[in-house]
Amino acid sequence: MIPISYNVRSLFVRKATTIATALGIGLVVFVLSSAMMLSRGIRNTLVSNGSPDRVKVLRKGSDTEMASGIEANTASLVMAAPGVKRDADGQPLGSPEVVVVIALDKLGAEGMVSNILVRGVPPQVMKVRPEVRIIAGRPARPGTDEVIVGKGVRGNFKGLELGQSFELKKNRPVQVVGIFEAAGSSLESEVWCDIETLRTSFGRGSSSSSVTLVLESPAAYDGLASYIENDKQLGLEPLRERAYYDKQSEGTSIFITVMGVFIALSLSVGAMIGAMITMYGAVAQRSKEVGTLRALGFSRGEVLLSFLIESSVLALVGGIIGSIASMGMTAVDFSMMNFATWQEIRFTFDPSPGIIIGSIAAGGIMGILGGFFPAVRAARLSPIVAMRQ
Amino acid sequence: MSMVAVRNLRRNPLRTVLTIAAVMVAIIFFVTLRTVLSAWTAGADHAAKDRIGTRHKVSFIMPMPRRYVQEVRDIAGVKSVASANWFGGKDPKHDREFFATLAVEPKEFLEVYDEIELPAEQREVWFQTKTGAIIGDSLAKKLGWKIGDKITLTGTIYPGEWEFVISGIYTATRRSVDRATLYFHYDYLNDDPRTPQSIHDQVGWIVSRVDDPGRSADIAKAIDAKFDERDIQTLSMSERAMNTSFIGMISAILKAVNVVSLVMLGIMALIIGNTVAMGVRERTHEYGVLRAIGFLPQHLAVFVVSESVAVSIFGGLLGIMLAYPLVEQVLGRWLEENLGGFFPFFRIDPQTIGVSLVLAAVLGVLAGALPAYSAMKLKVVDSLRRAG
Repeated sequence: MIPISYNVRSLFVRKATTIATALGIGLVVFVLSSAMMLSRGIRNTLVSNGSPDRVKVLRKGSDTEMASGIEANTASLVMAAPGVKRDADGQPLGSPEVVVVIALDKLGAEGMVSNILVRGVPPQVMKVRPEVRIIAGRPARPGTDEVIVGKGVRGNFKGLELGQSFELKKNRPVQVVGIFEAAGSSLESEVWCDIETLRTSFGRGSSSSSVTLVLESPAAYDGLASYIENDKQLGLEPLRERAYYDKQSEGTSIFITVMGVFIALSLSVGAMIGAMITMYGAVAQRSKEVGTLRALGFSRGEVLLSFLIESSVLALVGGIIGSIASMGMTAVDFSMMNFATWQEIRFTFDPSPGIIIGSIAAGGIMGILGGFFPAVRAARLSPIVAMRQ
Repeated sequence: MSMVAVRNLRRNPLRTVLTIAAVMVAIIFFVTLRTVLSAWTAGADHAAKDRIGTRHKVSFIMPMPRRYVQEVRDIAGVKSVASANWFGGKDPKHDREFFATLAVEPKEFLEVYDEIELPAEQREVWFQTKTGAIIGDSLAKKLGWKIGDKITLTGTIYPGEWEFVISGIYTATRRSVDRATLYFHYDYLNDDPRTPQSIHDQVGWIVSRVDDPGRSADIAKAIDAKFDERDIQTLSMSERAMNTSFIGMISAILKAVNVVSLVMLGIMALIIGNTVAMGVRERTHEYGVLRAIGFLPQHLAVFVVSESVAVSIFGGLLGIMLAYPLVEQVLGRWLEENLGGFFPFFRIDPQTIGVSLVLAAVLGVLAGALPAYSAMKLKVVDSLRRAG
């Protein structure tokens, strides 16, 4: 086999061309890997809300909490259902919640408003969602007009900062007393207030949007689910929390993946043509060398392989550059509306070994595809003609 | 002299063809992305100026009392008023297909949205059929529904199974209209016992037409002032402003699409630059000869740059010629039918064409600049010494 160092040195000789081609492929890999990281980030942000031992109960037929509504007596029936965990005092661990999306002024963008999800929570919510922690200030006191703000939206909107206040609706100001985190989930893009405050502000009576239940064990789900579904009077639908959030993230995350792959594919056509031009140039320039190699006894197959290796090395260099550059995106926050809930959520670019290796490999494939025809041309050169040039 | 330079392109036809192909692909892609952006904002640009939308001040998902409709009608300058409710129906047979379903008051609705065209006899049938619904032509085509068909939708907000009969199929005279929406009688929804008490006699939003588009901002203010002291306040703005604020919510995606379209141009510039640089390297000897017989360094620069500009403009023109059928016939048709809500009118903006051509030329100059500089810098003696 022709040593790889021959290819690497050849690439070094033609520095400018090598750099231009590798950068072209690098840009494609950058776009591909960023899109994949964002899509993963969206899934992780939303799905990490879900815990295997929690169940979300909505009105039958509702896709989201927003469209759902559960009357008070139904909510308490569900909380008392078999399979629901109870705390030390024998109280069921369940959290009826009201969600409302309100428009708030965005900071830093004059005159722009965006949607923020406000969740009215009962006092026991922290027992149901133990991953939520106050990181600044203090918890809101039940029964007051105090709210806590997720760290993802803190400071991005007018009034959403510790010590500030904003209006839930006209003449209904609330005070921000704490900032919370929730293990990177989309809850961090919400504002939480007392459930009664929200109910009275928006005329919700005693109804709630959804009920979140803690199971005795993840295995208790089937029993609870058939209990709820069999009672037609309830008219409710249980969903494992993870499945619920999976559904919420599906649309947006598929949209980003499809768009990212489509864009990367279109871009890669350009980059592959770039690799092809470079490799044809290399073959033309080095036909004498190819002839010599053949004369020395290297076979057509070995020449073909050698040029394919050269173009994939070229492309891999680009892929690695692009992939490293895309890691820079992890420092960028991407605030976007989730299509399922119309709520603005702050997502991050979330890398994984699979994405990094996959996108570098995609770069390598571009090199092989782009280098194929030039390599064939090199392999078909007649040694005598080539050396005579 | 530029013409001589362009002839140089024939010396390596394969490379020239490949480079032109790369430019072409880049331009097609650039035009497509630009069209995505312009189609997304088309809703705002083509929105009617004489219509005002009114919604719950806090959130668009919250309903307002139905009597507000009458009160808006009484405001001076308002010509006609319609209301709409988001029904959120799904066809169980086409579970993955999304389309908007809205409950409206048929007469008022067609008065306010006069760009919706419905044949007179279908109009009459719809007015008289309480369970009647009209659908856009692109939705009819997609789901294969015909006039007279009975369909059942599952409500996601209003529980239960709802039966409708298709009374008419509408088309639109304005680009911003989604032709994949189903409209049906508000009374059918409101009089039904299945509608939860909490949303009975409530409307999702109110749309009013005004006499004088120039006064729409004042009238919007007058509407909000009327409800300012009530339990539920309103937020009114012209249809255009409303669409703009929706676009604001997806601004991050638009920004990303924008960046990607520039990345594509970057790749294109790298490819052209590489091609030209390879040519310059091969012709070092010739450039030495040219200098020796009296051409100045700037003449060489003209040679190099005109070559790269010729490639980029030629590729750009080809790209635009191909982009038209591809974007408008293939992609545009598909998007209008399947994602009409986002892209009611997916066509290339003439401005995009101009921008792409100018950018192609500018990038051609930029891509040629570095190789041109190295050609200018060559010492006559050195270049003559180098063979081929």
